[in-house]
Amino acid sequence: MHSAIRELRFAITDKVVVMALAITAILAIYTISTGLTESASERALIERVKALVTEDREFTLAKQGDAGSAAYNAYHLTYQAPHALSFISRGVRDDLPWKHRIRMLALESQIYETDTGNPELSRIGKLDFDFVAAFLLPLLSILLLYDLRAAEIRNNRWDFLSATSGNGLRLLTARAAVRSVLLYLGIILPFAIAASLNGVSLTSIQVAMSAVALNVFIWFLLALFVTYKTESGPTAAALLLGVWFTTAVAIPVLGKLVIEDNIDLPKGGEILLAQRETVNAAWDLPKEDTMTPFIKQYPEWANEATVDQPFAWKWYFAFHQVGDQTVAPLSQELSQGTRQRDEAMNLVSLASPSLRTSRVLSRLAETDIASFQRYNQCVRQFHAQLREFHYPMLFGRIEYSKEQMQQLPTFVPCEAST
Amino acid sequence: MNTVLLIASDEWRYWRRSKLGAAAGLLALILTCASLLATMNQVRSERETRVALQHEAEHTFRDQPARHPHRMVHYGHYVFRPPTALAVLDPGVDPYTGTVIFLEGHRQNSATFSPAYSGAQAGPFALLTPALSYQLLVPLLLIIMGFSTVTREREAGTDRQLVTSGVSPTTIWLGKTVALFGAAALMLLPLILGTVLSNAGGAIASGFLLLYALYLASWVLIITAASAWSPRASSALLALITIWVTLCIVTPRLLASAAMTNLPTASQIETDMEVIVALRNVGDGHNASDPAFNQLRANLLEQYDVERVEDLPINFRGIVAQAAEAKLTDVLNEFAERRMASQMAQSSFVNTLEILSPFAVLQSASMMTAGTDNQTHHRFLREAEAIRFQFVQDLNQVHTEKMAYSDDINRSSDSDAERRTRIDPENWRILKDFEFHAAPATQRLAQLAPSLLVISLWVLIAGSIGWLGARRLVEVNRA
Repeated sequence: MHSAIRELRFAITDKVVVMALAITAILAIYTISTGLTESASERALIERVKALVTEDREFTLAKQGDAGSAAYNAYHLTYQAPHALSFISRGVRDDLPWKHRIRMLALESQIYETDTGNPELSRIGKLDFDFVAAFLLPLLSILLLYDLRAAEIRNNRWDFLSATSGNGLRLLTARAAVRSVLLYLGIILPFAIAASLNGVSLTSIQVAMSAVALNVFIWFLLALFVTYKTESGPTAAALLLGVWFTTAVAIPVLGKLVIEDNIDLPKGGEILLAQRETVNAAWDLPKEDTMTPFIKQYPEWANEATVDQPFAWKWYFAFHQVGDQTVAPLSQELSQGTRQRDEAMNLVSLASPSLRTSRVLSRLAETDIASFQRYNQCVRQFHAQLREFHYPMLFGRIEYSKEQMQQLPTFVPCEAST
Repeated sequence: MNTVLLIASDEWRYWRRSKLGAAAGLLALILTCASLLATMNQVRSERETRVALQHEAEHTFRDQPARHPHRMVHYGHYVFRPPTALAVLDPGVDPYTGTVIFLEGHRQNSATFSPAYSGAQAGPFALLTPALSYQLLVPLLLIIMGFSTVTREREAGTDRQLVTSGVSPTTIWLGKTVALFGAAALMLLPLILGTVLSNAGGAIASGFLLLYALYLASWVLIITAASAWSPRASSALLALITIWVTLCIVTPRLLASAAMTNLPTASQIETDMEVIVALRNVGDGHNASDPAFNQLRANLLEQYDVERVEDLPINFRGIVAQAAEAKLTDVLNEFAERRMASQMAQSSFVNTLEILSPFAVLQSASMMTAGTDNQTHHRFLREAEAIRFQFVQDLNQVHTEKMAYSDDINRSSDSDAERRTRIDPENWRILKDFEFHAAPATQRLAQLAPSLLVISLWVLIAGSIGWLGARRLVEVNRA
């Protein structure tokens, strides 16, 4: 205890330590506040667009005189609101869609629309809390710890210290531990404050704090091991930087290459092309070619399935649905494959503390692949709900009327399963 | 001069002996070669796939059976953006933009399916292209090799011996710098090889290589400057790692997020909604009785001196489709240009401030030279839109000239009329071949000049700081 207090006094009077801590705290506060701003602007955007889409739907529906045009022209906003913790990690939220404007046409032609910003900025990458806590923190650890033993050796104090404190390793450990704890506090205090002010559940806060703590602890152990084994500071630093590079860059990159090579996915373009061909070919095929597969899926409309005119809305929407049905195996393959790739990446991350930490944080923030897939599932459910609402009017069981249209389902975001 | 080379070759001997230099060099070689091979293969196969798909899309369109021309408007067409020659080294925004656009009537679709869609998520450094390994990792390796070049002499006191034997401190620093230049030149070899293999034009290839050579030169001088100014190797390393993190990792990201906060771009859905509201007055081109077309109808009736649209020698519905598409395209283009302009404003915000970091300057300049930047993507979007408008209007022309109005309006209820509205597939030959090219080399080279200047400035400043530091070499040691 006594030595810890002494080490603490040493640390806070060391310029390098103070500078590193200041950088850490500034980066943490900066990334958290931009993250919070981003979440707030996403919520505002959702409200704004929801109002616009609703207003436009009502404007458009007021002019429609039949069930088919009403179904064709009514657009709905689907979205995944940012989670309370989404400020800690952008995850895939900048690359993959989390909001769509959809209508009752074939969903497969709509669900892959991605609304991304400036690609040059996406390429530069995000400076979010996740990046600081998972990838930069180890570098700061290295800077604080690589020279602890070498500096003492250089000043010819190591043997003396080893002799007086009985055990050089114990002193080294205490010194490294104090610095690591300070580093940890520098990044985690801003987070803990922001998270509790934003009503994040205690469990989530604890999990995030432990994940970051584990990352700091791993680098504390690595640094201790390497510095104890090497005499010179620069060699220790070079070795530690090598470990950082291997775990933070090389392992994830290689893992990605191997995974993407081994888990093959249908190309997104294939789904779109196949979908377009089926939907467009339907115009030239006998009507039964569309209605038969449709009825197979929806037997309840078997009695109303005859189409005796060149054009009928029920047939039009049926071939859109059949288009979706045709590419459903491909589309499932894509989402299953994406999940498998993600699970494989999860295994790879066991060998990369940085990637591991980052994955835990983006899972908590609900900006990971799993939550993207939950959102997609939610959109599919809503699309099914829309079709179930419109079919009775399209197939003539219920008369189309403005009153009936009042019952039009509205999108409700799905709750996370966690 | 001889002394400089002597000191340099001595440094080389040190690297050969200490495993550090050998390990760093080997790592650099393996890394760059691996990323070079992987990216080259991937980009090459992407290019072949996209060129093949482009031809296939054109054939499929032209081979469609007889049908109503408006159905072809909705059947649509695909255009693909093939990667440029230098994309094998720097794919730029390619992995983020999506590289295929579906072209159809009444809509401007955005490019879909960026590789990010189903890729394994491997963290912030996942896309380790040859460009990124030269921008980010080669400097780190140079740091590991070079941080102790000058400080080692100082810590061992050998600098004093050298000075007393008549070697000036500046010569020592110069020797170390030349040695590190040699290492950097060696590391540049795989990139030179890659550039030669990429089949890029001579001028562009030289500009590209010059850019990277200057960038590595700026790092060599930053490293020896830090080494010359630091009392100890450990403080040189501390300074250099801090500089590396600041210049290569933090600054670019700060600039990007500042650009997003200061100059936010509207989301696509929000723009779409604005477009919809703006289009409410344009009229629905599918509905010839939309009041928006009353004037058009009146004019035509007068021009052909007839009473009813049925008596016009042309199909009024085709005319309406043409007029509506033209007006709608004007509105869509206006919003698309606005969107592109707001992205360019963000980019130029970053481009102005990025002189703070040679890494950021190099990143944008490298993309621009390779023809893989956002500007080139915008060029692609504009060319794709021109193709879209052309084929849609050509089909509308067919719709106007080759079909009777009475058949057209009765086709939903009368099977014979419907059959007559199916137009001979000969007409699908209107589609033009699409081949995308980045801006001409001369234009890109002209744009490259300012970036070369900025990086040269970094070289100059780092060099001067190092030279000044070298003069203190012996004094610090005495103190």
